[in-house]
Amino acid sequence: MAELEGIRERRRNRFRILVCIDGTDASYDGIRFAAKIGYRSECDIILLYVRPIDQGLRSGGLQVRVARENMLDWGLELPGIRNLKKGLDILAGGEEMSAHWTSFTSHTDTWNDPLGDNKVEYRHESGKTIVLKLKTAPDPASGILDQYELGPYNLIIMGAPSRWRSEASSFFNVGVTQKIAMLAPCSVLVARGHGTGNGTGYLICIDGTRRSLNATRRVAVLAKHSGYPITLFCVATQKNKVATAVRVLEKATEMLSKMEIEVAETKVAVGDPTEKIVEVSNDYSVVAIADSGKKWFHRLFVSGVAYNVMGASNTSVLNVR
Amino acid sequence: MTTTSLTEDSLRAYEIRNIRAGRVRRRGYQRFLVLRSQINFYYFWEKRWFFIAMAVGLSLITMPQPDGLTREGLIVLSMSVVAVILFVTEPVPLPTVALLIIVGQVLLLGLESTTVAKTLMTDSVLFIMGSLMLAVAVVKQKLDIRIAWLIVRITGTKTTRVCFGISLVSGILASFVGEHTVAAMMLPVGITLITLTSDDPKEVRRLAAVLLFSICYGCSIAGIGTPSGGARNAIMIGYWKEFFFDPTNPDTRKFLIDYVTWIAYAYPVFLIQLPFVTLILNWTFKPEYRTLSRSVAKLRQQIQLQGPMQPSDWLAITIFLLILLGWIFLSSYIGLGTIAVAGAAVFLIAGLVQWEDINSGVNWGVILLYAAAISLGVQMKDTGAAQWVAENFLALMTPFGAEKGVGLWAAVSALTTIVTNTMSNGAAVAVLGPIVLKMATVAGESPIILGFITAISSAFAYLTVVGTPACTIVYASGYLKTTDFLVVGWRMVLMSTFILIVAATFYWPLLVN
Repeated sequence: MAELEGIRERRRNRFRILVCIDGTDASYDGIRFAAKIGYRSECDIILLYVRPIDQGLRSGGLQVRVARENMLDWGLELPGIRNLKKGLDILAGGEEMSAHWTSFTSHTDTWNDPLGDNKVEYRHESGKTIVLKLKTAPDPASGILDQYELGPYNLIIMGAPSRWRSEASSFFNVGVTQKIAMLAPCSVLVARGHGTGNGTGYLICIDGTRRSLNATRRVAVLAKHSGYPITLFCVATQKNKVATAVRVLEKATEMLSKMEIEVAETKVAVGDPTEKIVEVSNDYSVVAIADSGKKWFHRLFVSGVAYNVMGASNTSVLNVR
Repeated sequence: MTTTSLTEDSLRAYEIRNIRAGRVRRRGYQRFLVLRSQINFYYFWEKRWFFIAMAVGLSLITMPQPDGLTREGLIVLSMSVVAVILFVTEPVPLPTVALLIIVGQVLLLGLESTTVAKTLMTDSVLFIMGSLMLAVAVVKQKLDIRIAWLIVRITGTKTTRVCFGISLVSGILASFVGEHTVAAMMLPVGITLITLTSDDPKEVRRLAAVLLFSICYGCSIAGIGTPSGGARNAIMIGYWKEFFFDPTNPDTRKFLIDYVTWIAYAYPVFLIQLPFVTLILNWTFKPEYRTLSRSVAKLRQQIQLQGPMQPSDWLAITIFLLILLGWIFLSSYIGLGTIAVAGAAVFLIAGLVQWEDINSGVNWGVILLYAAAISLGVQMKDTGAAQWVAENFLALMTPFGAEKGVGLWAAVSALTTIVTNTMSNGAAVAVLGPIVLKMATVAGESPIILGFITAISSAFAYLTVVGTPACTIVYASGYLKTTDFLVVGWRMVLMSTFILIVAATFYWPLLVN
């Protein structure tokens, strides 16, 4: 217990990014994003691949592990290991990991599955850690949330799904990314495109509430450490509220200047917040929006601006919690 | 100068809230907060489909009894609807559905628990259990390398010929051993050919699809070839016997479908589909490489390193051939299931497989599930529920002219195809079988033809990953996307349905008569 507490204490002094991959191009975009913001020595990056436990009915009663063990006997890599290795190559950027990194492997039997959970941890001389984790869970979303409990993490990065389901269809089957976006205790970034940006930076959306100003401060620190320029954006729902929006932007700019964080630009728009944010976001590599603060069951039935922008935007979206 | 820290000033890592609230300082609101933090409301959202299914079942049971349906029939139908919802949505572990079916039969139908228990272990269930044990035993013999050698020897190096060879060999084996077994055996062969062609999955994306679907669909279409090809076949054989065979009436002996009779009906349907599988796959995906000479050569080298066949390999093949002969010649006397279980026992006695391998390789909950589904199917017949559904279904089909003949066959095939794409094919046959067989009686059609249409159509689960065991196992390779199944699956469905209807129209009546 004391050892566990010690590990947690050490982790509180680290910026930990959990990148969830499933082999799709979008998930590798998430890794590239993590590489861009997590290059500093105080950042740890954990690549997670969740393998669902065998559902014997779907394979006719023959456990899929029989096929999986047969593949291993042929010397073939399982899909999760392949994807994690590719993710590591992206993070390493061509660098040979044996040069300055020490590796540790561990295995845990879980869900009565002998293949269980497998972890390879690479520790750099500077203290930075890259972890490859192959986890077994009943479904990917629960596996990711379970992994969070082993953390915690400052940021979860996931690739954008091919289809963002509406509230109605989410009732029947909500996708993994949407589920994590709804339930994760920490900030979630849905990565789209390369995510590394072409110099156009972060678009931070503010609505004047204390929550959004707090989120602005935190995202601005992240953007500064990552080397991205910052644009502040506020949407006035009506024309007579534009002056209020301008004051909000001035207040945010002043707050950031006290932290010696420069704001490249400020923008105001009039209209529906979700539509305007999506429209403007195309010119930026990341859109950052504060979470509405609603509980998970509120979000199920009344989705906020952040959740809607996550689904509609063509660029990466960071939902700040 | 203000210095900002990523850890302290940027995005926060929130600890999971400790749900033990500690001492409650005040009653009332504080106590409410403690209680709320200790109840996981999310559980009810996660299990929503379970509660929905229960609510649907309760409302069906309490609704006014329809004309022509007994009270027991209504209960059984309600249980079937609830079971289907739970099969498709899986809010609870699937063996739970089996347990609920058993409990439902005792509590709601008032049956003796011993009576219900007896219906759970039939020859069909014994066969399912035995064939799964045999599947694990066969995969552990590592005969897949020898099979790969056979394929690369006979097919040459052209991609289309390799694909056809894979489908042919996979299919012939799957028709006897079971599609899940062969899919598990052939998967490494397909992946090895892919990885030997290129390390970059993006360069061989379409080639991977063609090779893996050749395995997957080759096994799927073959699973209907013989009774041992799949659990659904054994289930349908059991239903024919249960529903129509009367030991006092010699005319009903035709409903005792033995191994050879099944082959006579179904094997030609499999063989005719085989070349079309390769054609459709190549036409749909157009693989990047027209020849696999380099990868085939490397595979041959790998195989040659294995050396000659060992005595244990020959013993395994001999045992399996004996089992096959037992199914062909003895199954009419002692049942398919007895032979399958005996075969598994021989593998264990010969030391070719360990019990631990079988125990971990077989999902015993699935056997329980099939047993319960068959038990429910029998109740559907005994309570008249199947008859009632059949009559109403035929009444629905009458305006379209599909209440008999080719129209009815196509309707039954379509219904089975839709159901089997959403749930396991065994469960689909277990649920639809009683209804279809009763439909045959009401419509004056041959129950054998309609039964075969149902059993064979249950193999047409080409559209989804969960449709057939072979698809699920091949999908585990990580090279296929779920959309790939849709892209090629609808073509396969059309082709298979057409061939099935043609066989039912021109060929099967000759056998029935």
